[in-house]
Amino acid sequence: MPEIRLENLVKRYGNVQVLHGIDLAMAENEFTVLVGPSGCGKSTTLRMVAGLENVSEGEIYVDGTPISHLDPKDRGLAMVFQDYALYPHMDVARNISFALRLQKRPKAEIEAKVREVADIVGLTEFLHRKPGALSGGQRQRVAMARALAKDSGIFLFDEPLSNLDAKLRGQMRAELAIMRQRVQKNMIYVTHDQIEAMTLADRIVVMHGGYIQQQGTPEELFKRPANKFVAGFLGSPPMNFLDADLQDQGGTLHAVGQGFSIALPASKAQALGRTAGAVTLGIRPSDLNFDPGAPDAAAFDLKVQVSEYIGAQSVLVCQTGGAQVTVELKSETPIALGETLRFAVRPEGLHLFDRATEAAL
Amino acid sequence: MQYDRQNPAFYALLVALIFMAVGPIVLMFANSFKLDVDIISGSSGLLFLPTIQNYETALCDILWYEPDHLDFCALKFGGAFINSLIIALVSTVLTLVIGCMAAYALVRFRFMGRDTASLTTLLVRMVPPAVLLVPVFGLWNNEFCLDKDGLIGGYIRDTFGGRGDVCLAGTHSGIILIYVAMNLPFVIWILQSFIVQVPRSLEEAAKVDGAGPFQVFFQIVLPLIKPGLAAAAIFTFRIAWNEYLLASALSDRNTKTVPILIVNNTSEFNVEWGVIMATGMLLAIPPIIFTLFASRQIITGMTAGAVKG
Repeated sequence: MPEIRLENLVKRYGNVQVLHGIDLAMAENEFTVLVGPSGCGKSTTLRMVAGLENVSEGEIYVDGTPISHLDPKDRGLAMVFQDYALYPHMDVARNISFALRLQKRPKAEIEAKVREVADIVGLTEFLHRKPGALSGGQRQRVAMARALAKDSGIFLFDEPLSNLDAKLRGQMRAELAIMRQRVQKNMIYVTHDQIEAMTLADRIVVMHGGYIQQQGTPEELFKRPANKFVAGFLGSPPMNFLDADLQDQGGTLHAVGQGFSIALPASKAQALGRTAGAVTLGIRPSDLNFDPGAPDAAAFDLKVQVSEYIGAQSVLVCQTGGAQVTVELKSETPIALGETLRFAVRPEGLHLFDRATEAAL
Repeated sequence: MQYDRQNPAFYALLVALIFMAVGPIVLMFANSFKLDVDIISGSSGLLFLPTIQNYETALCDILWYEPDHLDFCALKFGGAFINSLIIALVSTVLTLVIGCMAAYALVRFRFMGRDTASLTTLLVRMVPPAVLLVPVFGLWNNEFCLDKDGLIGGYIRDTFGGRGDVCLAGTHSGIILIYVAMNLPFVIWILQSFIVQVPRSLEEAAKVDGAGPFQVFFQIVLPLIKPGLAAAAIFTFRIAWNEYLLASALSDRNTKTVPILIVNNTSEFNVEWGVIMATGMLLAIPPIIFTLFASRQIITGMTAGAVKG
């Protein structure tokens, strides 16, 4: 419910600075996902919001009130930990009601609340089991139920699904999405899994090296990545990057690299504001299509090395002039391994990045 | 069920070990039912006329009847037994309370000199108790005293009687204090290894759930290190119960413990073997009960299910 604002948040361990001034505002009832590779500072940011790490510099505001000097217990938030962190000596019901019992709520109220949240996460029949007697998925639910029982407006998730196997993770992800619709809370969710980020988030915040790289809706980030890192991080299989140089060829701007010369659409060329220079050409595997008749200026000739069949789609690992390119196609497309084939690129699927600064052009 | 056939030497070794472990106890048990004559003669072996006379002598001050063979009850087993219980239990409880808090601080808090403190606790354990004897005896008798004319000292003297200043020597507290000091390092050391195993995220979860530092400690950490507490309790109780050297120097007539009492049965002229054996058997009972009770708490895998699967 409340609005959370991080202002110039800095974290140092001794002389090592791991967060370099994080500015972030999370609106009411927003599901914000912090995503990034290991060590990018996303968990540290979350733990600072929770009060489990000290803030070196900057301030955290909840509804305009600074909270960074408060103990975790006084911040009124709920958290789901990566390793669940269930109290092993208490049964499920007591795990869920721990926070309420600390608040000395009336017994009847506690019981009702436990039953209510157990019902939400589907644990009603396990209330008297100890965590040791539960499966991984059930433990995960207990952790969620424990956080839900607290009735706090802010919900923090620290990689909650990363310990589950792939199938269960998909299932829990869907359940989370459903739960997210049922309970209106301000949620901050940390993950290194870009699929979780894309599917759950209202707003994705991509972090890398202690900086926020870009934030916005999943669609914004996917379609208009601010730099090469964001472009490469979101999307699976990841975006292809090819070194190219801008050249004016008979009035049209071309991106020319080893074995290709792609004409840029006029709108794109205009927006670039330059007609020469070293760039990196980024193309998502799904923006390439098998098309033997495509013109030179809109196609790559790729030597197909491996075809990875993943069901309806196949991922082709191809080679062009020393660089590796992946292509995602419908599996029924007839492809012969080892042959050099022509793939057309969709004009709107061309992303250009400055080769030195890696910023999107 | 098929068992592998073992080497006969293996069984011979097992039997030898069992004999070594159980033999003395069997001997003590058998001899406690013999008259001194039978014990000394040595010829009767396991064939003798059992008698409970030795037990009657040992327990004479708490029996409801007067045994026929005694004209004077010299042995105050009941009193010594209660002294032993008080000293062993109180020192065990104190050691555990102080020990678990110290261990927690050493494991979880970052402060200057933490590693030094941790190492020193173990080094102190290496000092043999006999080394402590002389200085402690001197301190307890001469330094840690309350003036008999003072307010508290005077009150104690008026209430309990006695002469001289009120000193730690000869009191339960004096012995308990030295036992706590003696056992604390090892208990801290044992408990540290148990506390390290409590996942930090459990404590963090409790903090987020609204628990203060003491609630985290008592409601989360303490229940999880119960096996460690039990092991430490058995260890401490056993040492405090059996300790002879320090207790013999620091106790007086009214505070002596059972081991001291047993040795008092030897005199220049006579060693009452039968009574010693009987008292020894009685001495062995409380630690056995205590261990059975405490070892129930040693359940492995207490933290199972706390964190990931």
